[in-house]
Amino acid sequence: MSIPELIVQYWPRLMAGLVLTVEITIISLFFAGILGLVFGLLSVSKKKGLRAIALVYVDIVRGTPLLVQAFFIYFGIPQVLGIQSDPVISGIITLSLNAGGYLAEIFRGGIESISRGQMEAARSLGLPYGMAMRSVILPQAVKTMTPALINQCIITLKDTSLLSVIGVTELTQTGRLIIANNFQSFEVWAIVAVMYFVIIMILSKISKRLERKMSYGKSKN
Amino acid sequence: MGKVKIKNLKKSFGDLEVLKDINLEVKEQEVICIIGASGSGKSTLLRCINALEEASSGTIEVDGNDITRADGNINKYRQDIGMVFQQFNLFPHMTVLKNITFAPVALKLKTKEEAEETARKLLRSVDLEEKANVYPEQLSGGQQQRVAIARALAMNPDVMLFDEPTSALDPEMVGEVLNVMKQLAKDGMTMIVVTHEMGFAREVADRVIFIDEGFIVEEGPPSEIFGNPKNQRTINFLNKVL
Ligand SMILES: Nc1ncnc2c1ncn2[C@@H]1O[C@H](COP(=O)(O)OP(=O)(O)OP(=O)(O)O)[C@@H](O)[C@H]1O
Ligand SMILES: [Mg+2]
Repeated sequence: MSIPELIVQYWPRLMAGLVLTVEITIISLFFAGILGLVFGLLSVSKKKGLRAIALVYVDIVRGTPLLVQAFFIYFGIPQVLGIQSDPVISGIITLSLNAGGYLAEIFRGGIESISRGQMEAARSLGLPYGMAMRSVILPQAVKTMTPALINQCIITLKDTSLLSVIGVTELTQTGRLIIANNFQSFEVWAIVAVMYFVIIMILSKISKRLERKMSYGKSKN
Repeated sequence: MGKVKIKNLKKSFGDLEVLKDINLEVKEQEVICIIGASGSGKSTLLRCINALEEASSGTIEVDGNDITRADGNINKYRQDIGMVFQQFNLFPHMTVLKNITFAPVALKLKTKEEAEETARKLLRSVDLEEKANVYPEQLSGGQQQRVAIARALAMNPDVMLFDEPTSALDPEMVGEVLNVMKQLAKDGMTMIVVTHEMGFAREVADRVIFIDEGFIVEEGPPSEIFGNPKNQRTINFLNKVL
C-alpha cells in the first residue's frame, strides 16, 4: 500500500492513538503542574525538612529512567498491592510523577530567579508569605519559566510514546500494531513521525503566542 | 513617649556579630539619620526594626509592641512600618497604581475605590499623578523611588524606614527623592533614614546617629555631629566622606 492508501485505511486508528496521546499528555501535565508547584514551593521553603522532602522527590525522578518508573508503577506496585493495574492510569501516574519532578525544579529555578527584594518589599507591606508568593513572586517567576515550561510540555508529549511498552495504545503503540499486520515499517513510522511533528509544531506555535502575550507593558523591542 | 524603642539589640550572622549592643529611642515625629561606614550594620539595624532580620537578642518596640515577640502577628505589625529600599523593589508586573493599592486591598484594609483614591492623592504628593497607569520599568530611577515611597505610605504607617534611598540613583535624580522625604518630615512623619547624603542629614535630621562596628558611637543634633564631633572614629569617618 502507498502512504496515502495507508493513511486512508488506518486514519481512524491513527487518530484514536493521537487523541489518546494528547489526552494522556494533558491530564499528566495537569497533575504534574500541581506536583511541580507544591514541590517547587517546598524546595524554596525556609524549613530544612520541607526542602529535604522536595529534594528526595526530585532526585528519585531524575535519578531513574522513565521506562523503569513506568514498569515499577505498572507491574511492581500492583503486584505488591495485589491489584489489577490499568495501563492508561499507570501511564498517567508515571508521567505525572516524572514531569512533576522536572517541573518542581523549573518552579524552584523560577522562584529563585526573582530578586530577594521583591519578597522583602511585599513582606514589608504586611503581606503574609503565601500572599506575597502567590501575587508577587509567582507571576514574575512563571514568566521567566515559560520557555522551560513549554519545553517540558513537549518532552512529556514525546514521553507518552514510552508508554507503548506497558500496552497503552497511544500513537506509537498504534503504529506498532499496524505494522504487525502489514509489515510496512518505513511508511507507518513515517506517518507516525509526521503526526508527532505536526502536533508539537502546533503546540510550540500556541506557546510562542502565549509567551508574547505575557510580557506585561514591555516596550516591545 | 518613644515611637520606636530599641534595647540591647544584638544581631549575629553565624559567627559574625554585626550589631553588638544597640540602644535607641525614636520619638514621635522625630527624624533620625543613621550614618556609618559600609558594613557597619546600618541596614541590618533597619531590617531588624521590621523583622526582615530576626534579632539575636534584645527588644524592639514600635508603638508599644515588641516585635521580637510578635510571632504570628508579624504581618499586622509590619503594616505600621513603611520601608523604602535602595533598589526600589517595585513590583514590575503591576502598574504604578496597582503597586500602591495592592497591599491595602489584598489585606482588606480598604476597598479598591478607597485605595485608588488614596493612591492618586499620594501620587499627586510625589508629583507623579500622570504615571498611574504605566509599569515601573517605564519610569526613571527617581520616579520609581517616589512611587516606592507612595506605596509604603499607602499603608498609613506610624514609622518610615529608608535604607539609602538615593544610593542607586543617578546624581540628577537624588534631589527629587530627597525633596519628597523632606516634605514627609515636615508633615510630621517619624522617620529613620540610613543615608550617605550628609547634606540631607544636616538639613532634615533631628538627630544623627553614627554607627561603627555594631555600636552607636556618637549621636546628637546634626549641628554637633557635623560641627563638633567628639569621638575620634566619628571624626575619621566624617573626614573621609565630607
Ligand atoms: N544575611 C546576611 N548573612 C551574613 N552576613 C550578613 C548578612 N547581611 C549582612 N551581613 C553582614 O553584616 C555586616 C553589616 O551589613 P549591613 O548591610 O548591615 O551594613 P551596612 O552598614 O548597611 O553597609 P552599606 O553601607 O554597605 O550598606 C556586613 O559585614 C555584611 O557582610
Ligand atoms: Mg546597607
